[in-house]
Amino acid sequence: MTVRTIEVRERVMARNDELAAGVRERLAAAGVPAFNLVSSPGSGKTLLLERTLERLGDRLRMAVVTGDVQTRNDADRLAARTDRLVQAVVTNGACHLDASQVAAALDAVDLEDTDLLFIENVGNLVCPASWDLGETAKIVVFSVTEGEDKPVKYPKMFRMARYAVLNKVDLLPHVDFDVDRAVAFARRVNPDLEFFLTSARTGEGLREWTDFLESEARRPSLHGTGGAYGATTGVRARRGG
Amino acid sequence: MSLALEVCRIAEEHVGTEGLGDVRTVVLEVGDDAGVEVSNLEFCLEALLSSPPFGAARPVIEPATGDVFRVKYLEVET
Repeated sequence: MTVRTIEVRERVMARNDELAAGVRERLAAAGVPAFNLVSSPGSGKTLLLERTLERLGDRLRMAVVTGDVQTRNDADRLAARTDRLVQAVVTNGACHLDASQVAAALDAVDLEDTDLLFIENVGNLVCPASWDLGETAKIVVFSVTEGEDKPVKYPKMFRMARYAVLNKVDLLPHVDFDVDRAVAFARRVNPDLEFFLTSARTGEGLREWTDFLESEARRPSLHGTGGAYGATTGVRARRGG
Repeated sequence: MSLALEVCRIAEEHVGTEGLGDVRTVVLEVGDDAGVEVSNLEFCLEALLSSPPFGAARPVIEPATGDVFRVKYLEVET
């Protein structure tokens, strides 16, 4: 018996990254910014998107791709809020979307008739951080019921995100959650992270959120340096909510 | 787990499905800034590489600097 060595020297993410580059090219050619919403399960991504579709549906042509391990529940909820296509990807056990799934989902989307694309990733703060989907930016959503130290416990996700939404701020009077500490933890991991403080349930902070999305959808360049609301401004504006 | 599955896919690409039972070692380089939890990855790889279609392969993870994360080479019994 002999043992032979097969040289590989292949980046583990190379294949996905190639597909993601293709997605990014398609989106750029059509001038469509794409936001990949990532979070732990239960942070409120779907309700935030429902409210977003309601508020911006008459001004922006928005498409949505949702990822779930099982069921189309999120896609069904979102489809009830828009006449436009909501593409459901059931990952059958995988803890994240990958670029091939997004590329396939986009085949059914008329990008020339789209202003903004949302990708609602599988609820998981680990795996989706490693997978580029060709998006313009990742937006990490976390909620005040989750603990302020999420950013340092899951640093890669917060490092890979350009924006953060701190959701469920209507619950702040009822939970031990210090917004300043949470923001400080996040900035320790990613000093450039821009924050939105929202309650998808009560509507608090949604004006800033939708203004940001609208400005991004109308921005000539898809890969600008940030949204209309700086993190400090956003945090100050919503403090004590 | 998804990263471990991707490593297995790369191994399969290089030896073919039939050859997976002969793989003995999968050597990876993982950088300290790769964002990979090495012990988790190792755990998942050990589970996958010791189950069909693999035979009794084991992962070897070589630490590196930076964000490198790649399959370096495979050792295959012939």
